[in-house]
Amino acid sequence: MDILLSPQLLAAALITGVLYALISLGLNLIYGTMRLLNVAHGDLVMIGAYIAFIVFSLFNVGPLVSMFGAAVICGGLGWFAYKSIFQNLLSNSQILARLEENSLLLFFGISVVVQNLVILFFTADRQGYEYLSAIVEIGDVRLTGARLAVLIVGSVISIAAVLYLRFSLFGLAMNALIQNRDASAVVGINVDRVQMFSLIIGFGITGLAGALISVLEPITPVMGFPYTMSAFVVIILGGLGNLWGGFLAGLLLGMLEIFGVAITGPEWRSVLVYGIFIGILIFRPQGLLGRGKIAR
Amino acid sequence: MNNSSNSLRFIGIGAVIAIFGGLSGFASEYMLGIGFTLFMYIALAQSWVILSGMTGYISLGHVVFFGSGAYVFVLMWGLVPVWLGVALSGLVVGIGALIIGYPVLRVRGPYFVILSFGLAELVKNLVLINEARMYMSLRPVFGAPSLAQLYIAMLVLAVAATGLTYWVRRSRFGAGLRSIREDEWAAETIGIPVARLKLIAFALSGIVPAMVGAIFIMRSGIFQPGDAFNPIVSFTIVTMAIIGGSDDAPGPLLGVGFLVILQELLWANWPEIYMIILGILLISFVLFAPSGIYGWLSANISRSKKNAA
Repeated sequence: MDILLSPQLLAAALITGVLYALISLGLNLIYGTMRLLNVAHGDLVMIGAYIAFIVFSLFNVGPLVSMFGAAVICGGLGWFAYKSIFQNLLSNSQILARLEENSLLLFFGISVVVQNLVILFFTADRQGYEYLSAIVEIGDVRLTGARLAVLIVGSVISIAAVLYLRFSLFGLAMNALIQNRDASAVVGINVDRVQMFSLIIGFGITGLAGALISVLEPITPVMGFPYTMSAFVVIILGGLGNLWGGFLAGLLLGMLEIFGVAITGPEWRSVLVYGIFIGILIFRPQGLLGRGKIAR
Repeated sequence: MNNSSNSLRFIGIGAVIAIFGGLSGFASEYMLGIGFTLFMYIALAQSWVILSGMTGYISLGHVVFFGSGAYVFVLMWGLVPVWLGVALSGLVVGIGALIIGYPVLRVRGPYFVILSFGLAELVKNLVLINEARMYMSLRPVFGAPSLAQLYIAMLVLAVAATGLTYWVRRSRFGAGLRSIREDEWAAETIGIPVARLKLIAFALSGIVPAMVGAIFIMRSGIFQPGDAFNPIVSFTIVTMAIIGGSDDAPGPLLGVGFLVILQELLWANWPEIYMIILGILLISFVLFAPSGIYGWLSANISRSKKNAA
């Protein structure tokens, strides 16, 4: 059991956890404000990673710069998705009643199209690049420069985003929408605008996270799906629409995954993530921090 | 509809089935292969409709039944007679569905949809780990029955699944299932045993896919967890049922016919294009024709009949 106390493992868990927190923040905004089940969420991670990879191979510019480009491009995709599909759907009250399930099928279709387009253009092969691969030692912990950078940048951005959404006027409007969509329209919030920016920010943050992830793991067209799953685990764990809860749940899932794999072995990773996911859905669908009983 | 037109219809359906069956005697391997795929997806899509079409509990992981059936069958391969093995795999998976169905079906709405996908991936990974532990990355299946026999078996399953959907749609049981789709709370309030009905539908919708999986493994001659639990199968089933219309037996037939042709043309050489078209079709039908080809046709036909009268 010595292995569980090693700071090395703790650092790995923090890196994974911070990335989960960042990705699930985007999903939380989209689900919270619009009740859209974005099962293509992980594909934004994939797109962000490909953008960072392309920028690096063409211009030799690292992900710490290109991540902003990834955020802008993915945010643009969010704007496009809102204008082309969801603005209409959300203003139609008949469709709104079944929107959760329909949005899931829609995003599922989008996910399949996006993944296969990427395979057509970049093949299904793994891609990757070397960046800041020198080892940095902090006390007992040895990390590559890239992983350290991801840890720092990821923490700063996710904490800044949570604080901004908690205290700015726009963040308050977004929170109001998460709590009660109808009432926020009554008190004069421009629901349409807030929804559009939720989608843009949600997509943008996730694309940024994808650019960071591109230095940590091989880039493939199907790399996104595990992140979709993890992001759903996190927002359900933390309570839907609860941004702080989601941040903490992201760190928690990172710990569970890294320590769980350290105990059992790498082939159990998917089983762990899916097992936690299924267990939570079945036993605590209201989240760990949530209250209230959900009847059968 | 009067009795004579009804019996005419049954004679017609019987004749079509007999013709398909008779083809096994002299059709080429290639044609039999296409027929096999066609019947396989008819059986799968009809089974999906019993659960997801009727109750609205959309399953994105229906391949879990297919793959589990194949796995159970392959574990029994050589130990029991072939067709007994097929029946047993249906039985084992059906019982398994009854057991896991109880907790799984407590999860409602969109969460069930995600859960169904997660469950299929979980089972796939467990099977992968188990196979790795037994040093089996793939299991060959030697000495399977001929393609003509497998074709007939698949035809039987397709007919059985279609008949089952047809019957469920018109039975008291099916009415209960559809009340769950419309409003589960209200259904429960007026005394419909929703939990039991859902559970039975879940098990029913798993038995045929398990047997289909077993027969499919004999056709492909090899069991690989990645193939047997391929999410593309789930995705194809859902798209077929939604494109065709998932409220009654004719819907999936239309959707399957359409997509099997597409699959035959594209999957082998351009799998990405096939998937992209599938995705676009799914998106378009959800947005513009949520009741599918059959729903659209029957709405238009009843309207034109009304206009004529």
